[in-house]
Amino acid sequence: MAILIQLTRTHTPSWFTIKKQLFSTFRRHEKTIRRSMASDPSTGEPTRFDFLVIGGGSGGLAGARRAAELGAKTAVIENHKLGGTCVNVGCVPKKVMWNAAVHAEYLHDHSDYGFDVENVRFSWETLKAKRDAYVSHLNRIYRNNLDKAKIQTIHGHATFTNDPEPTVEVNGRKYTAPHILIATGGQPSVLSDAEVPGAHLGITSDGFFELERLPKRSVIVGAGYIAVEMAGILSTLGSKTSLVIRQTGVLRNFDAFISTNCTKELQNTGVDLWKNSQVTSVSKKDSGLEVTIVTKDPEKKNDEEKISTIQEVDCLLWAIGRQPNTSGLNLTELGVDTDERGHIVVDEFQNTSRSGIYAVGDVCGKALLTPVAIAAGRKLAHRLFENKKDSKLDYSSIPTVVFSHPPIGTVGLTEEEAVKLKGKENVKIYKTSFTPMYYALTTRKSPCIMKLVCVGKEETVMGLHMQGLGCDEMLQGFAVAIKMGATKADFDRTVAIHPTSSEEFVTMR
Amino acid sequence: MWSIKLGCFCFDLNSFYLSTLLYLRGQFLPRVTAALQASFSSHSCQYKSLTSKWKYDYDLVVIGGGSGGLACSKEAAQLGQKVAVLDYVEPSLKGTKWGLGGTCVNVGCIPKKLMHQAGLLGTAVKDAKKYGWQIPGPIQHDWVTMAEAVQNHVRSLNWGHRVQLQDKKVKYLNIKGSLVNEHTVRGLTKAGKEMTMTAKNIVIATGGRPKYPTNVPGAMEHGVTSDDIFWLKKSPGKTTARLLTWCLSDVALECAGFLTGIGLDTTVMVRSIALRGFDQQMAGLVTDYMEAYGTKFAWECIPKRVEKLSSGALQVTWTDTKADQEHKDTYDSVLWAVGRAPETKALGLDKLGMQLNKETGKIIVGADESTSVPNIYAFGDIGEGRPELTPTAIKAGKLLARRLAGQSTELMNYDNVPTTVFTPLEYGCVGLSEEEAEKRHGKDGLEVFHAFYKPLEFTVAERDANQCYLKVVCERGGDQRILGLHFTGPNAGEVTQGFALGFQCGATYSHLLSTVGIHPTCAEELTKVNITKRSGLDATVTGC
Repeated sequence: MAILIQLTRTHTPSWFTIKKQLFSTFRRHEKTIRRSMASDPSTGEPTRFDFLVIGGGSGGLAGARRAAELGAKTAVIENHKLGGTCVNVGCVPKKVMWNAAVHAEYLHDHSDYGFDVENVRFSWETLKAKRDAYVSHLNRIYRNNLDKAKIQTIHGHATFTNDPEPTVEVNGRKYTAPHILIATGGQPSVLSDAEVPGAHLGITSDGFFELERLPKRSVIVGAGYIAVEMAGILSTLGSKTSLVIRQTGVLRNFDAFISTNCTKELQNTGVDLWKNSQVTSVSKKDSGLEVTIVTKDPEKKNDEEKISTIQEVDCLLWAIGRQPNTSGLNLTELGVDTDERGHIVVDEFQNTSRSGIYAVGDVCGKALLTPVAIAAGRKLAHRLFENKKDSKLDYSSIPTVVFSHPPIGTVGLTEEEAVKLKGKENVKIYKTSFTPMYYALTTRKSPCIMKLVCVGKEETVMGLHMQGLGCDEMLQGFAVAIKMGATKADFDRTVAIHPTSSEEFVTMR
Repeated sequence: MWSIKLGCFCFDLNSFYLSTLLYLRGQFLPRVTAALQASFSSHSCQYKSLTSKWKYDYDLVVIGGGSGGLACSKEAAQLGQKVAVLDYVEPSLKGTKWGLGGTCVNVGCIPKKLMHQAGLLGTAVKDAKKYGWQIPGPIQHDWVTMAEAVQNHVRSLNWGHRVQLQDKKVKYLNIKGSLVNEHTVRGLTKAGKEMTMTAKNIVIATGGRPKYPTNVPGAMEHGVTSDDIFWLKKSPGKTTARLLTWCLSDVALECAGFLTGIGLDTTVMVRSIALRGFDQQMAGLVTDYMEAYGTKFAWECIPKRVEKLSSGALQVTWTDTKADQEHKDTYDSVLWAVGRAPETKALGLDKLGMQLNKETGKIIVGADESTSVPNIYAFGDIGEGRPELTPTAIKAGKLLARRLAGQSTELMNYDNVPTTVFTPLEYGCVGLSEEEAEKRHGKDGLEVFHAFYKPLEFTVAERDANQCYLKVVCERGGDQRILGLHFTGPNAGEVTQGFALGFQCGATYSHLLSTVGIHPTCAEELTKVNITKRSGLDATVTGC
């Protein structure tokens, strides 16, 4: 409601008014005005903007809106739903599913806390319907926000043309601007049938959000955070879930403390973990998919490879990484450099190798996180349209949460990184493990682990890592303090909030 | 090795087993060890300390085995001092008693938070239905199951504290202590046996106990307090929690919150305003949420008397001061939360001429926790002007122990104390309330950033998020230093701690903004807040 009311209050900027008057004959059709601004394919003369954004995801929309606020005539090109990965097939629906899974955990605890909750059945269909409704609601909000900001939305696939001036073509119409931002994001990587026969029978995290039923038998392939989150959600909601990983632990680029604990917790919560394993083929049977897995412990050189199959799989999910969305953009022709994995190479100011072309977000392959893309997009807008020459995002100490069971929070350096960077003698570690008080009354228990990585004589806290109940909400404030350069002494000086889990960070010895 | 979080402290399972063994072998072994330890450490100590060891029975006697007293005595013992801690719980009027650990462990933070969790789970069942769970029938809650589990946990904490004292070579005496002179404490056992002991320094950390309204006939006979509520053998039933808020009594709201959460019909009677001393805008949101949650409020009402009817029900008569009308209703239980009084009666402070605040009865203390009597210190809830909070008592106790042992001169900093009220919608804060900031800096000297946000967990659950709000009160000029930070929402306690650290480090508004958010969480809203109150713009957060 609030949005609608605001819409009617919004004043029309002058450029729009002029166009409106010029084309007043078409006023019967709102859309005609938009069309009139587009290029005429017969003449090939592109429509000009101040700022052209390719990709209506978190980064692109944030950059576009900020630019428009600063007075730039802006357009966003999107070939799918507005909101990008985060809103449609990422953070938002994922967290909804995680919340649902958390309820499944609570339902185990209710009787311990005195509630008689029995004969509970779960309806995936209900949850999916509500989740989809919420996502559509967000799509509408994004659309309204763009309209409110007088940003033109162009629907379709963007391709750079060979014109001397950087120009984008969408559905046969040309658009140009002195500043063009590429924020096309990424998508889950897939394996070809040549690499793994039958690979196409599996889905990715995108497909996860299309599942109409709770799979009875799931196999997740991958050791990254998406694999961990998907396995946790499916398993907790009641799907018999196997997780196939190539080495012995998940989240291998996290602090070893977290990686080890998370691997253990996955198993504790009932995920069937296949270490040192790879899927070699997938075939379709009447009863579901048959997934063939080869397992070999590299440390036992003399052992034979073990080949096993998992039968009756109704959800095989590849979570083996993400790749940038650059195909079809015609980047090579444009002279925008990409790295060997296809990510657009940018400098600290988000400049690509071609002047006037910028990139933010997942397409750059660095810190694939919504708030990072948003912040980078906004900083860029300030630099381009407010003449703030130094406006750039600081990529250090970016906090991240993994919505595993229990959740993980991490910011700054891992112990390994700190030792490598500063030398073992300059690194001091503080650690604690405990069972959060919530579990005092429950038969289900899950530990909380915490670690501080301190560097130098001052014991500057350069890394904070944790996994446990509530860690998702704990991290943000600590991230602020760490960014400010907080030392262990600052932690010690802070009075605890009792009884919480987070107080353990300020009472650590 | 896992350790178990026992509310106020953690201990290692290894040492738990070890000390259990020691304990089972009786008092003998530890006592020998303590003596050995004392003689060893005295060699390395200064001459002065050596004489004190000969002159007095103890270096330090702590009266009161609550959060503060335990922290102080353990810290002192670890620094090589010979320490005794005296703890004795006078049963409540209703006869409730408990073990070692003080208010927090037995009748405060710990059982309260656990029952708060139960209340939240009551809400979670309702939410679960929206998340696709089909749960048959109305959900019943069994008080006895919950209370027994809570009480068992508290008993395990009592035991844990005993073990810790044993471990750290602190002499624990289950006796009632009183002061004879500046170096002597008299103890009285339950059986009436008397003993005296001398100490170089004496610390009073006896805390406080809930008060009854003495001017309401029937209040004491028929009502309970927070000393009893967690130990009730059966459900308090239809409860009325009456709240007089001339002190910082968040207890009434917290109790009413969890009682509502587990499905009891609960009414809070408030004389004037709720959560006095806290930011009043935030307090309003907390009580608004509770009203929507099902807690009934009787605002501006003053109870006149409580009578027990033949049915066993309690008839409460009160005056509605708004309309100047008298009302009556019946309840199963009446919980009084009208504030707390310092536990000084048994201490014999008057004989020593110790300075007390006449109004509050609390001991007047210096920045170093010293009282008007030499060698006697007091801290925690009993100290005048001190926050009635466990973590400040623990911290102050440790620092005091270090100073008394001559290891440090660091004083307790009572500023920047963060706190959280565990009402159904939790409220966490650090620094000044907006009112207080306005008083100190003037309305024009402040820039208040605020936001109404909707937690993602509320969306599918179709819960009203009108009270999920945050505000950051900043200085208007300069680099916009943060003066106060306030947050209502799920997990506010966990959210606030890290920001309290930032606040301690002197965070400014731009420090918040330059930190990348964590998506999607509630806490991230604090790094995104950008609407000022001054602008008058709608502070509702939309989209991601």
